Amino acid sequence: MRRYLRLFMLFIGVEAQYELQYRANLVANVLQQAMVIVTSVAAVLILFSYTDSLNGWSIAQMLVLLGVYYVVQGMIDLIFRPSVERLMEQVRLGTLDYALLKPINSQFIVTLRHMRLIQLANVALGLVIAVAGVVRLGEGLGALDVLAFIVALATGFVLVYCLLLVIATLSFWFVRVENLLVIYGAFVDAARFPVDIYPGWLRVTLSSVIPIGLAVTIPAQAIAGRLAPESLALMLAAAVAAWLFSGWFWRRGLRSYTGASA
Amino acid sequence: MIGIYRALLLASFQSASQYRVTMFLYLLFSIIRPVIFLAAWTAVAAARGGTVGGFSAADFAMYYAIVTLVAHLVTSWNAYEFEFEVQHGRLSPKLLRPMHPLHQWIAENLVWKAFTLPVMLPVIVAIAVTFNARFTAEPWQVMLFVPSLLLGAAIQFLWNWIVATAAFWTTRVNAVTTLSDRLGFMFAGLVAPLALLPEPLHTIAYALPFASMIGIPAEILRGGLTPSDVLARLALQGVWLVLCFAGYQAVWRLGLRQYSAVGA
Repeated sequence: MRRYLRLFMLFIGVEAQYELQYRANLVANVLQQAMVIVTSVAAVLILFSYTDSLNGWSIAQMLVLLGVYYVVQGMIDLIFRPSVERLMEQVRLGTLDYALLKPINSQFIVTLRHMRLIQLANVALGLVIAVAGVVRLGEGLGALDVLAFIVALATGFVLVYCLLLVIATLSFWFVRVENLLVIYGAFVDAARFPVDIYPGWLRVTLSSVIPIGLAVTIPAQAIAGRLAPESLALMLAAAVAAWLFSGWFWRRGLRSYTGASA
Repeated sequence: MIGIYRALLLASFQSASQYRVTMFLYLLFSIIRPVIFLAAWTAVAAARGGTVGGFSAADFAMYYAIVTLVAHLVTSWNAYEFEFEVQHGRLSPKLLRPMHPLHQWIAENLVWKAFTLPVMLPVIVAIAVTFNARFTAEPWQVMLFVPSLLLGAAIQFLWNWIVATAAFWTTRVNAVTTLSDRLGFMFAGLVAPLALLPEPLHTIAYALPFASMIGIPAEILRGGLTPSDVLARLALQGVWLVLCFAGYQAVWRLGLRQYSAVGA
């Protein structure tokens, strides 16, 4: 375990050195993310200039949700997506051999090796919005709410991680799996609002096949004090099942990998 | 000119046929975003017991179905590749041809629309039906929608090129594009129908070109505007078309002088 942690810190160090080479880029990227978030907040404010509650969500609760949305999106783009995108390329080129030859768990190195540290800005800006929402909520947060929030957030990450791992594993059999990432990307946008406002087909998609809606809505509900314990339990169970399945599927896929260069 | 366009359209058609699946998947983005805001406004209307500033849930459904269609017909993506073309010197061969590269981009765009429309139309109808949209436009409004749509497409096309030519001067066009995209997000009529933008955003929206691209054609087809309102909006679009055309020519001329063909 300590070995894995040390390796993970090493990955972060390497990526940080890479990112810091291009400082002006860094500033430009942060500016862009700030523009995206400011306009998203403005969109929420416009909606709430006509009402006090959107399907039962107050403006403070909605700000929390929007903040959580950027935290979740930022974390996924920070760590899972870059690795998964790289993995698809490695399978196609046959360079995955080098990763597999390393004396370390293959799933670990393949899904956590690459990062886009610039996305930390997204996470930080999201936190600012979420905290602003919490302050506006007025009522103090109980320790239990915070705990539920952390558990829900972590569970959400596991769910999305498993989805991306399964998509990546499909690249052992199919060549153009990037297309599945396009579908995922299109649905991510919808997580900016609570899943309960959507019509059935979209709500179901965001809570099952592409669980990004759950990953944002459930933690936000925990902070907003409107989380039903059953939904958290159900989400935990789903995450365990998804974790077991995606791990098995990855090992299964690995067996069909032949190495393009060999 | 007709011969040139025939060749360009054929070539674009051939290259578009290669990437059908990816192309159709990208349509998901154009479909899901309006649905998101439609769902949000429907919730707002429900919270207020039926209507928001004269819009009922059925009106929102119609408006956002129309916005999906207009945004799809109006939007051109070619400009996003321009940065790459400039930085890698790919623009050079295009400049050597005895015609403005703009024509090739127009042809690619037309083909992309023709390819994707048969898929978009049923989806838009399905959205309208699931959200119980109500179509209220009168025949004259539908007729005036056509020139408004064409103006919107031309303005959007030229504006994107003005933004893209930033690539002649900086290697970080992304920041400029994001700014333009986010202003469009706010003011083109996507976040809210233009009529529902609170002041001062409402005034700002009409003072920027973005409303003329999507919001104005959409509000004309939705119906409910008087003839003089419609004509005033068409005139505004006309002004923006002239401004964008002049602006495009100016930056293109200046930019070409700046262009040093990296990698060529």
